Amino acid sequence: MSILEQIVSGIGLPNFWVLLPEIIVLLTAFILLVLELFIKNRVVISGITIGGLLLAAASISLIREGDVTFYGLYVVDMFSLVFKLFLILTTIFVVINLKPYLDSKKTYYGEYYYIILFALIGMMIMVSAPNLVTFYMGLELAAVSIYILAGTFRKDYRSKEGAFKYLIIGGMGTAIISYAIALIYGRTGSFDFYTIASSINSNSLDIGMIGALILLIVGLGLKAAAVPFHFWTPDAYEGAPTPITAFMAVAAKIATFAVILRVMVEAFPFISSEWSFAWALLAAASMIIGNIIALRQENVKRMLAYSSIAHTGYILAALAAPTGMGFTALIFYSLIYIFMGIGGFIVLSALEKNHNWTNHINDFKGLARRSPMMALFMLIFMFSMLGIPPTVGFMGKLGVFLALIGMDLWWLAVVLVIMSIISAGYYLRVVIYMYMYEPVSKARLNYSVSEMFTVAFMATFVLILGIYPTIFWGLSSTLSSVLLAGIGR
Amino acid sequence: MNVEFVTAGFPLITLSIIIPVIAAAVLFIVKEELAKPISIITSAIVFLITTYMLFAYDYTSYKIQFYEKYTWIPQFGVSYEVGVDALSLTMVWLTALAFLVSFIWSTNIQKRIKEYFISFLILEAACIGVFVSWDLVWFYIFWEAMLIPMFLIIGIWGYAERIYAATKFFIYTFFGSLFLLIGVIGMYIYQYFNKEILSTSYFDLVNLNLPFNLEIIFFLLLALGFAIKVPMWPFHTWLPAAHVQAPTAGSVILAAVLLKMGTYGFIRFSLPWFPEASKYFVPVMFTLGVIAIIYTAMMALSQTHIKRIIAYSSVSHMGFVTIGTFALNMEGMNGAIITMISHGFTSAALFLAAGYIYDRVHSYELNDLGGLAKFMPVFATLFMISAMASAGLPGLSGFVGEFLALVGTFKASVLTGVLAGISLIVGAGYTLWLYHKSMFKESLLTPEKIHRWEKLKDMNGVELTSFVPLVVMMFVLGIYPAWWIKLIETTSAAILSKIIGG
Repeated sequence: MSILEQIVSGIGLPNFWVLLPEIIVLLTAFILLVLELFIKNRVVISGITIGGLLLAAASISLIREGDVTFYGLYVVDMFSLVFKLFLILTTIFVVINLKPYLDSKKTYYGEYYYIILFALIGMMIMVSAPNLVTFYMGLELAAVSIYILAGTFRKDYRSKEGAFKYLIIGGMGTAIISYAIALIYGRTGSFDFYTIASSINSNSLDIGMIGALILLIVGLGLKAAAVPFHFWTPDAYEGAPTPITAFMAVAAKIATFAVILRVMVEAFPFISSEWSFAWALLAAASMIIGNIIALRQENVKRMLAYSSIAHTGYILAALAAPTGMGFTALIFYSLIYIFMGIGGFIVLSALEKNHNWTNHINDFKGLARRSPMMALFMLIFMFSMLGIPPTVGFMGKLGVFLALIGMDLWWLAVVLVIMSIISAGYYLRVVIYMYMYEPVSKARLNYSVSEMFTVAFMATFVLILGIYPTIFWGLSSTLSSVLLAGIGR
Repeated sequence: MNVEFVTAGFPLITLSIIIPVIAAAVLFIVKEELAKPISIITSAIVFLITTYMLFAYDYTSYKIQFYEKYTWIPQFGVSYEVGVDALSLTMVWLTALAFLVSFIWSTNIQKRIKEYFISFLILEAACIGVFVSWDLVWFYIFWEAMLIPMFLIIGIWGYAERIYAATKFFIYTFFGSLFLLIGVIGMYIYQYFNKEILSTSYFDLVNLNLPFNLEIIFFLLLALGFAIKVPMWPFHTWLPAAHVQAPTAGSVILAAVLLKMGTYGFIRFSLPWFPEASKYFVPVMFTLGVIAIIYTAMMALSQTHIKRIIAYSSVSHMGFVTIGTFALNMEGMNGAIITMISHGFTSAALFLAAGYIYDRVHSYELNDLGGLAKFMPVFATLFMISAMASAGLPGLSGFVGEFLALVGTFKASVLTGVLAGISLIVGAGYTLWLYHKSMFKESLLTPEKIHRWEKLKDMNGVELTSFVPLVVMMFVLGIYPAWWIKLIETTSAAILSKIIGG
């Protein structure tokens, strides 16, 4: 018997079948890494990327039952699979819009494609982590890849500045999280979520554990761009190439929310009243600061960056109500934010290709005359972010309201209401500039097919889900019950 | 409250919501010239449907008719639930009429025609939806969805200050409706925790029997949303701005339909849901109503802008609806509902008249007018009838409602009745003054004006077709109000059943 066979017979071979999506994405990334050295044809490169991603998305449907594999280091359940599916779809929509954008900027870097895939793998690991170490690895893989992505416009000062800021602050977040993990390990002797959960309850809280919890929340809040840890966000978002901004603002955030939910619910289920208050404070701060600063922005891309901070606030507010309803609302809002966020940023990316377009609010003057469809889609996204029915943004806020009022958190609900009203100021401004001013320039606006498709697809879903959210609600509540069923397993 | 339902054999109500939406979608693809005929035909179909329902409605006892219900979000107990009682029905019919009139009037629109008609069609669907929904989530969806097209209508096709007015309108109403939303969610959660029912249906929430302190809280939350929409003093400041800046058809819809949503909300939700709180707040509502009537009537007297005068008179009339509603007796309630209908006719007609004058003279300022009657006699007659109906001349629609509302108010509180009654004189004052100054006053005429006005044409076919139906309805309602009162009587009784028993 060889040594390898001895090992296998001793501890068993991990179940690689359930890792199929990750394996496909990883292989695609490596193939691209090599191919990119030889092939300069961008169509081939992006074609391979999209093909790999579609294959990975399809492979998710092959996984019939979940498993905890890699000796308890990796969990594949419905929660992680659904989030993986949406992350892959998001990435597809980013990748198909990357080429037209880069063509128009006349700067092409092949690195984009495989680094995006590495970031995606990081996020997939994040949402599958049952263990603080796996979680940390996924978080870092995603974060490091995104630092690079944000800074790939290396001749552009703002891109470098944003990436550098993100690197410094993100690195700090990493350090904070690792302190937190060290403290938790010291207190419980385990990295595993369930072991941690079973050894901590509200009576056994001591100063070390509280410190660990605070550090963990601060670190995660930093990754999710919650106020007061948001300082990297506007610069990094504004400096990055716009499709990458969409990737950062949507995919990375969704993965972060999923992991926040997973860590909080699975590792600390019995002290939910402690952490929920911390998240409530972060949520309130994010809503207030994000919305008020967004009000003063002249640059629409930067405004959307602040608006995404505000949305972090709305989503985290659901975590202030640690009930099944709260988790459902969080999952639902995260999933629907994909449609609004990708839509909004891709509209910018499509417009930005045109000569002299700076994303300044004045550039939007009369867009409805110059390009009626694009303006209509932007209008739908703006009203959805504002939360006006029949768009899906309203359904998201409705879920958060239900969760908050169900837990008697009236103060947070009122903050949400007031901040929503304030947000009307800047979302409406975009609509006003598009529809109620005469165009300043008559130059034709050109869009690629992929951009038109992406934006139309997202806008259609924003409306369909706004009228018929039933399936998504069902999905979200199933996912939240999957999480809750895991408690104390 | 146990309610009987008559299920619709044919989904007429859903149809009247969906047809405008489909038409709006069609307008996206067809050529610009087809926008006007398609919109007019669509709104005519909707008007026919609602008219059919108006006559098919069985008013002998209180039943929700043409009722449809389909499960929608089972996790939250949300269904798509529509149906009408007499209050909803008259409002829906009024909506359909107002939109038909506006569409016909709008044939002279030149700017961005497709977008204009798409906005109006979507607005029509949302407005009808508000009045027929019995599920609170759907009610809220329609209630808010209406903001988007109205915002665009004021902002794109309005006059000089349109962007300011549109934003003010949007933010004011959005503010109110969010409080309405948390009020409703609060009740929903209360229902879930106390009765274990997961439902957003009106008919479940109406049987909640809240404790008094909660009733007060929820009443206030909902009232904030409704009061801004009515608008009640002191939340009315968005209205003159929006009316003055909106295009003619926009003003018509704003006055004839949107204002009714607020009073509809009070009658439909506040009274049956919070009977004790409603009684408790009667003095407050009376005070606000009387202030609205007197203060805004005074404001109207001091204006020189035609649309602003009509806008303030709308707030004043809505004050009558408020006090009629909170008189909490049959006369008051009937009066409130009849006033809502009548105000739909008169304000729509008056705004059309203002638009008509502007189209000819290109000014809304009274001082730029004067002595117009001689030059356009047909218009002068129709305008006169509308103005008299608005002022409450017996035989025309305005009188019936205001009279009943006052009778109800006198029964509830003599002082309020007297104050509101006195202000009727002021009301007659500004209406007559408006008419006199614009149509008769010959001292304002200069030779130059006469020269210009001799060239003015009297009403053309389009204007007549949009104006005459409203004037006819003023006579119908004014001369034979008994049919209308019979129609709404059972509904008024059902709405008041929790408060006065029976």
